[in-house]
Amino acid sequence: MTVPANARGVIGLIPSACTSCMLCVRECPTWCITLDSHSEQVSEPGARRPKAVSVLDAFSIDYGLCMYCGICIDVCPFDALEWHADFDYAATDRSGLVQSTDQLADWSDGSNSISTISPS
Amino acid sequence: MRKAEVVVVPAAEWLDRIAGLVADGYCWLDFLTAVDRQADLDVIVRLVDPASHAAVLVQASVPVGSATLDSLADLLPGANWHERETAEMFGIAFTGHPDPRPLLTRPGSERPPLRKSTPLPARVLTPWPGAEPDSDRASARRRVQPPGILDTWETP
Amino acid sequence: MAATKRAPSYRVASDPSIRVTVANLGLACCTLEVEAAVRSGLLVPDDGTDEGRTVLLVSGTVTEALAPAVSAALTSLPPDTRVVAFGACATSGGPYWDAPTVVGGVDLLVPVATYVPGCPPRPEALVAAVIAGAA
Repeated sequence: MTVPANARGVIGLIPSACTSCMLCVRECPTWCITLDSHSEQVSEPGARRPKAVSVLDAFSIDYGLCMYCGICIDVCPFDALEWHADFDYAATDRSGLVQSTDQLADWSDGSNSISTISPS
Repeated sequence: MRKAEVVVVPAAEWLDRIAGLVADGYCWLDFLTAVDRQADLDVIVRLVDPASHAAVLVQASVPVGSATLDSLADLLPGANWHERETAEMFGIAFTGHPDPRPLLTRPGSERPPLRKSTPLPARVLTPWPGAEPDSDRASARRRVQPPGILDTWETP
Repeated sequence: MAATKRAPSYRVASDPSIRVTVANLGLACCTLEVEAAVRSGLLVPDDGTDEGRTVLLVSGTVTEALAPAVSAALTSLPPDTRVVAFGACATSGGPYWDAPTVVGGVDLLVPVATYVPGCPPRPEALVAAVIAGAA
């Protein structure tokens, strides 16, 4: 049985695309996404004053709660979340299913995943 | 699939109007359920004509404070369990129902589970990850609520 | 009801020393994936013996009413049986974690060796987790 490339196996994160807008966190029906960020002042050459930029500190998905609806992927305005077909990430304890920024990024940086379907 | 016709009737005419539709051939009960509109509850029944496969939805509104409606169970025996479930889930009394025992809920569940006013304690007690942190954002004044959670829900 | 009926058992096709006994206690969604595993040959019919290691696969949403059936299923199996919580509902209550009548994870009832994420997990995930859980 071949696993289809568009299987909803796991959700990966592209941290560089995430602006910490929190839309995915708020729209998740099971409340399984958490996001921590802080604001920084960034000076740009030629600008009269610095602007405030959100910086992502931590992003996590609790795959013990996730129902794989994909609403987070659909609402992200920056396509920072995407489906991958991987499924072999069961855990021996409950906390092992909470994946943090690095683990979520590993699915998306191509090093780990068996497939990627980017949001169209 | 043909869209069913919706007939809205006053609650007082519920049994008579439905008896009329049954006599007209809409004698097969698909389902009976309710929708919580918060000020009142809409009770909906779908009837099908087995000969033509035409369907009709009949709807009546009952106020939350006095949510009673005539039972259809004598007219349509299939309505018996549908009414028992709708009664316990929404807190509606079906007058004349031959066996008004709860169908699915267990003794001790006090509030009708499917009313929007019935809180889900777990959602009240669990901090919502989507709440704005009390941090440097001046725009955090505007409180965003998680979908489906009402302000009126109290912490148990 | 569940305590008097024998729970269905299978063997892992790629490692028949592992017996998988399935406690289907709730919704049908996870059951469908177990059935798909059987129909695609990843799980094969049990030989009826107690040979090898046994894994109890708990699948579906467990309500308060059905909670005793989880413990009953485990006590009816050999003492070194490992429990695999299959899917979000068995792991945490899943999408129904907020329902007052739902048990928020079967680990509140029995010790769990492996938690399989998914809603539902696919058959390949079932086999991978069962093999890891029996180890």
